[in-house]
Amino acid sequence: MTHSKITCKKAVDLISKKEEGKLSAFQRFQLWRHLAECSLCRRFSAQNKLIVKAFGLQQAVSKLTEKQKEEIIDSVLGAKPEL
Amino acid sequence: METTKLSETEFRKWVEDHSDLLFHYAVRRVADEELGKDLVQDTFLAAWRNRDSFRRESSVKNWLFLILRSKIIDHYRKLNSGAVVAGIRNENEDGTYFDHEDHWRKGMYPSSFSVDFRNEIEGREFFKVFDSCGKKLKQIQHAVFVMKYVDDLDSEEICKIMGLTSSNYWVLIHRAKVQLRACLEKNWITK
Repeated sequence: MTHSKITCKKAVDLISKKEEGKLSAFQRFQLWRHLAECSLCRRFSAQNKLIVKAFGLQQAVSKLTEKQKEEIIDSVLGAKPEL
Repeated sequence: METTKLSETEFRKWVEDHSDLLFHYAVRRVADEELGKDLVQDTFLAAWRNRDSFRRESSVKNWLFLILRSKIIDHYRKLNSGAVVAGIRNENEDGTYFDHEDHWRKGMYPSSFSVDFRNEIEGREFFKVFDSCGKKLKQIQHAVFVMKYVDDLDSEEICKIMGLTSSNYWVLIHRAKVQLRACLEKNWITK
């Protein structure tokens, strides 16, 4: 007997693996079936997508101060040559 | 002597032209400004010491990024001490999210939140929260996350760099996500 019902914990695991396209056809079916009847995991899946998207988006630009740049120049040019 | 002087002027220009980009790249990957600056400094030091091997016809920027990239990977490698991996195996954080039947535990339900990235102010606010939540991740979690979601590396490559088994990798990335989501829920929707 094939057991296509999965738990939330398993569904969450499959949601992570799905991103890499690492689900078998059967796992995809299991997940699809679980999400169809579980609003909590649907919500988790949506948030998961949001997190992945947010992580990939460009965030605040980090810049060095002029002083830090001077420090870099000084420390490099002042460094003893490597033995 | 004349050539050295010229190189020093040139070197200053390298720093002026490329340090901000390198710094931004580094900070995004190590989530730490102090460390980011150190990595950039090490990069310039390595570049300066090996300036004779730099071929004029190639791009300075690419060369510097190549050095920085290898410095970052060296840093990542150091993150994975045996203790970290052992910790991953022993923790059973999933128990806090799921009940004995592996369903969502009451009180741990994912709550709904959303962000409109097209709304500039909302987006900026969200990233502030997102950044501070990201900083709460363990360094190794953050490193794996960046490789996966910023640099788009395959999980096999990430495991090779970090010396992780594939099951450690999955647990690590899964925990990081669950943790990030919990932090966002707490700090973003209640605003």
